[in-house]
Amino acid sequence: MDKVKMDNIVALKSKQKIKQQEKWAAALAFANEELIFQNGEKEKRAAELSIANIELAYQNEEKEKRAQELAVIVKELVFQNEEKEKRAAELLIANIELAFQNEEKEKRAAELLTVNKELLAFTYISSHDLQEPLRKIQTFISIIQADDSQSLSESGQHHFDRIKAAAKRMQQLIEDLLAFSRITTTELKFEVTNLDAIVKDVCAELKDTITENHATIITDAVCEVKIIPFQFRQLLYNLISNALKFSRHDLAPAITITANIAEGKSLKNTKLSPNKSYCHIAVKDNGIGFEPRFNERIFEVFQRLHNKEVYAGTGIGLAIVKKIVENHNGFITASSELNEGATFDIYIPAA
Amino acid sequence: MRYNQYDPINILLADDDLDDFTFFNNALSQISIRTNVMVVKDGEQLMHHLSDNSHKLPDVLFLDINMPRKNGFECLAEMKLNIELAKLPVIIMSTSVEPEVVSRLYNDGAKYFIRKPAEFSQFKEIIYQTLLLIRKGSVLQPNISGFVLTAPPTIVT
Repeated sequence: MDKVKMDNIVALKSKQKIKQQEKWAAALAFANEELIFQNGEKEKRAAELSIANIELAYQNEEKEKRAQELAVIVKELVFQNEEKEKRAAELLIANIELAFQNEEKEKRAAELLTVNKELLAFTYISSHDLQEPLRKIQTFISIIQADDSQSLSESGQHHFDRIKAAAKRMQQLIEDLLAFSRITTTELKFEVTNLDAIVKDVCAELKDTITENHATIITDAVCEVKIIPFQFRQLLYNLISNALKFSRHDLAPAITITANIAEGKSLKNTKLSPNKSYCHIAVKDNGIGFEPRFNERIFEVFQRLHNKEVYAGTGIGLAIVKKIVENHNGFITASSELNEGATFDIYIPAA
Repeated sequence: MRYNQYDPINILLADDDLDDFTFFNNALSQISIRTNVMVVKDGEQLMHHLSDNSHKLPDVLFLDINMPRKNGFECLAEMKLNIELAKLPVIIMSTSVEPEVVSRLYNDGAKYFIRKPAEFSQFKEIIYQTLLLIRKGSVLQPNISGFVLTAPPTIVT
């Protein structure tokens, strides 16, 4: 080969080499640029990561704080739970105690009821048995007065009259006590009854007394109510005969008996339930009345406001009346002023 | 004295009380009806006497309720079960009148129920009236409303 050719080849080759080198350089430059870009990207990413890291660290811290707070709260809850359990246990004990107390109270109430019944039974039996010796005393007195009155001095005869009167009074007391105890010892049979019929019946029974006293009786008692008829008969008998008995000497007795059904709220008694309906029975007279301070006491057994020589009586009549009203789950009030008449208001639950 | 023409009324009295026996006897001696009285002091004696004399029973039995050993209720219930004794008119005598007691005795077949009055003259009158009813021989039990005989108004003789 010639030299030129060789040179040409060499030149060509070096040209090629240079071209090649230039290509590489360009490729390298490109690669470099790419790397620089990538580097930049990586730096950006690193910066982002570092921000994210900071954020994560922060979040982590927050979570730890929260965890600590939760731990505190949990502790608190555990404590509260414990307290609640304790309290529940205490309540359980208290409950048991209350149940026990309740039972005791029920027992006591039952005992009281029994004792009360026994007392009434005792009253009943004793008054019942007292009647016999008393009757004998009265019979012997009547025999002496019939057979031996001539051989008695005047004062002796007078004393026998007094014994007779005292025995008669004792008989009345015993009979009234018996009636009083019988009100609670006998079985209570409620029946729907028209009060008007009972009022008329009682007035018929008291006809002689009404005529003797020139009394006027006005009744407006057409009212159906569930009651124990024979007890209500006694109640009205006692009230009406009282009204006749405690009349003024200067004034003929005028007695008004009314009955009607009304709601509690329209009636003048604070003990009544406003929306319940009641049968209101009123017995009003124009008699001697009594001082208002006695308006509760007159219902007590043996309570009397007058000398028995002036107004006879045992002081049991109104106690019987009150007991009958209580048997009917009702209320009774008495209102009066001295010499201004008296009014008895009775409220019995209707239906 | 219209009633003296009859044979005496044979009375059996069952009562343990001496005073009441005295009143009863005094009353009988003062009324114009002839009577023979036999007395037993308690319920057991009464039932023995009746079973021993079942062939010749009295005309009437006056029966007290509160007697020892066997009371008036028990006696009456026993008599009711015996076909012969059930025919014997029984008059109850008692101090008090209890509605439950009265209806029980009525249902057990007693003929009358006498409430012993406090006044002797009234007691006498009531015994007299009762014996008149026995004399008439009306063996039927009255209506419950006519069962209890209480003190009639004192009759002045």
